[in-house]
Amino acid sequence: MPAVKVKRASSSVDMTAMTDVAFLLLTFFILTAQFKSQDAAAIETPSSISGIKVPDKDIMTIALGKDGKVYFGVDSQQDRITMLDNVAAIKGISFSDKEKKDFSLMSNFGIPISQLKAYLALPDDQKAKVKQPGIPTDSTGAAVTNELKDWVFNSRKANNGLRIALKGDNLAKFPEFKNVLATLQAQNINKFNLITGTEAPPAGWKAD
Amino acid sequence: MAEINTGGGGGKSEGGKVRSKKASTRIDMTPMVDLGFLLITFFILATTLSKPSSMTLNVPDKTQKEETEPIKASNVMTVFLGDNNKAYYIFGKAANEDPKLETVGYGYEFRKAIQDNARKVPADKFVVVIKPTKVSNYKNMVDVLDEMAITKTKRYALVDALTPDEEKLLKDKAKLQI
Repeated sequence: MPAVKVKRASSSVDMTAMTDVAFLLLTFFILTAQFKSQDAAAIETPSSISGIKVPDKDIMTIALGKDGKVYFGVDSQQDRITMLDNVAAIKGISFSDKEKKDFSLMSNFGIPISQLKAYLALPDDQKAKVKQPGIPTDSTGAAVTNELKDWVFNSRKANNGLRIALKGDNLAKFPEFKNVLATLQAQNINKFNLITGTEAPPAGWKAD
Repeated sequence: MAEINTGGGGGKSEGGKVRSKKASTRIDMTPMVDLGFLLITFFILATTLSKPSSMTLNVPDKTQKEETEPIKASNVMTVFLGDNNKAYYIFGKAANEDPKLETVGYGYEFRKAIQDNARKVPADKFVVVIKPTKVSNYKNMVDVLDEMAITKTKRYALVDALTPDEEKLLKDKAKLQI
């Protein structure tokens, strides 16, 4: 009696279907996602039911970290250079073309202007390691030491159509937020956006 | 499928002609799958999917002094934002009239308190005054502003200075370190 041989299944699996799935997902991600920007600090924003999207361009972002540090950023590289030129002129500091170029590549920063030159001189891999001390602010919004007001003023001078977005961390204390608010109000900026995460409104809620 | 049946290649078929054996058209897709998932992984890690939303905040112009009619205390709900995610509110009385200080958490509790109080006064008279204290955080403020949008409270104000009466009230009753 001959031994019954177990028929072995072929060990080669048809991968075509899996390729289809992989590339379908890939296409989806390419089309929907956008690249993360390299931020000076990680900020976790609170969420709100507001459905208004943050505009993509012509926007300046004032970020408030959980330790109360203030970071500032403008979206367009050209505006960043013009803004730096304006601020440098006021503060009596001059930046070389290379420093300006390096600065224009920073999406946001939190460094007092006096330390900016030293920071820009660092090699790229060191920059990420530096703990940025934040931009100085104060509760009146108009003092000489308040550098945020200079950045805001000069970025608007560079591009008058800039909209202002405030991005605060969950744990930032209110007095720190008040300093930012006071800085804006001192320049008669009374309308701005608060960047928040998205959360679903309660059942039955309708916008009017 | 990317596979084409080539039939029983080779062998002798009708007519007895010898056909050359065709190479299989079946391609091993495994490297392509690898490549696909590598790219997916890259895109997942390097991109963000959710676009943040934003709420608009309008603050009154500080340079202009507008004469407005004083609001009656009986229509005002004053909310104080405390620490540890707690909010305190007084309703219907000014801080110096020994009002009842209620404690609420954020979210549903808070929403219910606003809706209950809003029902007690004429709809167009109800005013919420939001007073964040030094110990409150940014999230609390956004939460409250969000509740204003949810409960559709049209008249609200964000005021950052506490009056001495309110400070005393919070220190005595809520034991806040302000």
